[in-house]
Amino acid sequence: MSGEVRVFAQYDHDFDEICDAVVVGSGPGGAVVAHELAAAGKDVVLIEEGPPFAREDFVLDGAMSMARTMREGGLRTTRGTIMPTMQANALGGGSLVNSAICVRAPAFTLDGWCEEFQLRRSTRADLDPHYLAIEDFLGIAPTPDDVQGARNLLFRDGCRALGYSSEPIARNVRGCRGSGECFTGCRSRAKQSTDISYVPAAVRAGARVLTSAQVQRLLPRGSRVGGVAGQIVRPFTGETSHRFRVHAKVVVLAAGCMATPVLLQKSGLTGGSGQVGENLQFHPGVAVMGVFPDATHPEFGATQGYQSLEFVEDGFKLETLWAPPGVFAVRLPGLGYELKKNLSLIPRAAIWDAIATCNRSKGRVRARRRGMDPVLDWRLDPKDLQVLAEGLWRLTEIFFAAGAERILPGVHRLPEEMRSLDEARVIRAHDFRVTDFTLAGNHVFSTTRMHGDAGAGVVDEDGRCHEIDNLYVADTGILPRSPSVNPMLTLMALAHRIALGIAARL
Amino acid sequence: MLAVLAWLAASGIAVLALVRVFSGHPPAPPGARTLTRRELETVRAAGLAIYPRGGAIEPSGEDAGVALHADRFVRAQAPQTQLLVRLLFFAIEHATLVFPAPGPRGRRRFSSLTAEQQIAYLDAWRTSASFARRLLFTSLRAILTMGYFADEKVLGALGLSAQTIEAPRIEADLLWPAIGTAATGTGALGSNSDGTAARS
Repeated sequence: MSGEVRVFAQYDHDFDEICDAVVVGSGPGGAVVAHELAAAGKDVVLIEEGPPFAREDFVLDGAMSMARTMREGGLRTTRGTIMPTMQANALGGGSLVNSAICVRAPAFTLDGWCEEFQLRRSTRADLDPHYLAIEDFLGIAPTPDDVQGARNLLFRDGCRALGYSSEPIARNVRGCRGSGECFTGCRSRAKQSTDISYVPAAVRAGARVLTSAQVQRLLPRGSRVGGVAGQIVRPFTGETSHRFRVHAKVVVLAAGCMATPVLLQKSGLTGGSGQVGENLQFHPGVAVMGVFPDATHPEFGATQGYQSLEFVEDGFKLETLWAPPGVFAVRLPGLGYELKKNLSLIPRAAIWDAIATCNRSKGRVRARRRGMDPVLDWRLDPKDLQVLAEGLWRLTEIFFAAGAERILPGVHRLPEEMRSLDEARVIRAHDFRVTDFTLAGNHVFSTTRMHGDAGAGVVDEDGRCHEIDNLYVADTGILPRSPSVNPMLTLMALAHRIALGIAARL
Repeated sequence: MLAVLAWLAASGIAVLALVRVFSGHPPAPPGARTLTRRELETVRAAGLAIYPRGGAIEPSGEDAGVALHADRFVRAQAPQTQLLVRLLFFAIEHATLVFPAPGPRGRRRFSSLTAEQQIAYLDAWRTSASFARRLLFTSLRAILTMGYFADEKVLGALGLSAQTIEAPRIEADLLWPAIGTAATGTGALGSNSDGTAARS
């Protein structure tokens, strides 16, 4: 069987497709499911709303890159606690524009999931074979020193000086050149985002891939679902044209945890549990810039090459960070010549961040009356705010231990610049308010959470909806709460398990 | 008589408002397609206040073309988002009525203030105790900053120019063309006997 990828220019009429399984969304969850099912000999249609990006489609301009690769032009924010968040809109989903971090969830976290959410097969030992399968397929390995660059290695040095654990971040990368361009798309084609890894493998195994195709509702078939329906959308403009329907024995929703609940709500499939779209969680993050006496050449090095899991059990993870300069420069203090002076420090700078599990801070996803974009209500719990403040302090410690001459914390009501750890101790005593921080929340989960009790969750441990037995979810919505670390690898492991289960049933 | 006076006063206010909002803006720069000349002038003035010429990095916001970049950025957004961004520009331009800039005639629209007044006005937004005001300023600065750093002169001044990358062609390159180019001859892969991809 020969698969194919269809692009916008190829659609010239309304159409119907029939298959064994239709998968909605080509990000880390959907692409894995599509590949495993196709490899098992099933007839698969994979649908992606965004276009596929060729290497020449990537732009380094941060604003235009976000406008081209993200839903809502990259300007999506939560309500309640206002925080920017993003959802990719491209073949490969978030894997196209993330920094390739692949970390297994800690055993204590997965044990906690099992205990609290009545799960029986989701311990670390249960998931390890699935983690391994993904790691083997994508060539996941720790970032080598030769592409770390100074801004990553200084983090290692600071952690070592303080006795904190640190490690090179494992990433789904082959042949990284340290261009630091992960967030705008890897021009080196080194990052093994799913568009260039799992999707081609699925196509090779016979999967048909429809890009620029927006699924707008599920088709009912008695007490089950019979497929999906939607419209073709023009890349970047969202202008709709031809209609399509895909009829399938099994439907797998992997549209992302901000989109899948909208699709269920628009289709009237919210079930009796009341859980669809609830429990919205993020990993809010704070970032700090430190300035060193010597050049760090921050333009070179893996986007995120080093991390510390020292404080994961306390609720936060520390990591290095690089982004298009125009994105992080937004946080720097000053205006006019003072701002320019601060910007001129970038060649001697490093940026490190803390992401917090924030299991107390929850919200919900609701469908808008028109369109497929969500309304996101979410509030940061005051106790989680203290965790972020602790993360800020630890980053500060590491900067000064690594030899930074000053830090620029970018937090309202704190001094704009601190030149020693003693000066920075004000962080410890500060009474932080939520609005002091410039937060960002780019790991999102739990809106269709798995739970052993059908009344308290949306799907079971196999990703199958409790109330519709041929409807599955395979995106981060199924995570019952924070995985404590970056969620992509855990999602892919769960998607791998879900796919094997579906293949066995079909 | 009172009604006539009220009508005259209302008409006068309306005329003043129209003059304030619509009159006296320079023509739009060549290449602008989305923002009005009023909006472009607001962005240009803010770009110059936040990124003046000279100092630690030579190019100004105007040299870096932040207004045209904002025009392209807004064009790339959905209509609802475009409206929000335009409201942001309008708020910055006319909130001098509520938050006047220091100095004489501080209630003029933002783009008509002196350079010193513009800087003082924006700095008051940046450091405001009001989260909403800081948020609006941060949104404005984000748009301008991303435009500033989209300019090669700025990146070059900081030594942050991108690497030249010659990447090899990969299997996925056989599957789809660049966006907006002809789609013929792509899309399908077969398998060779050795398991590698073959174009079909």
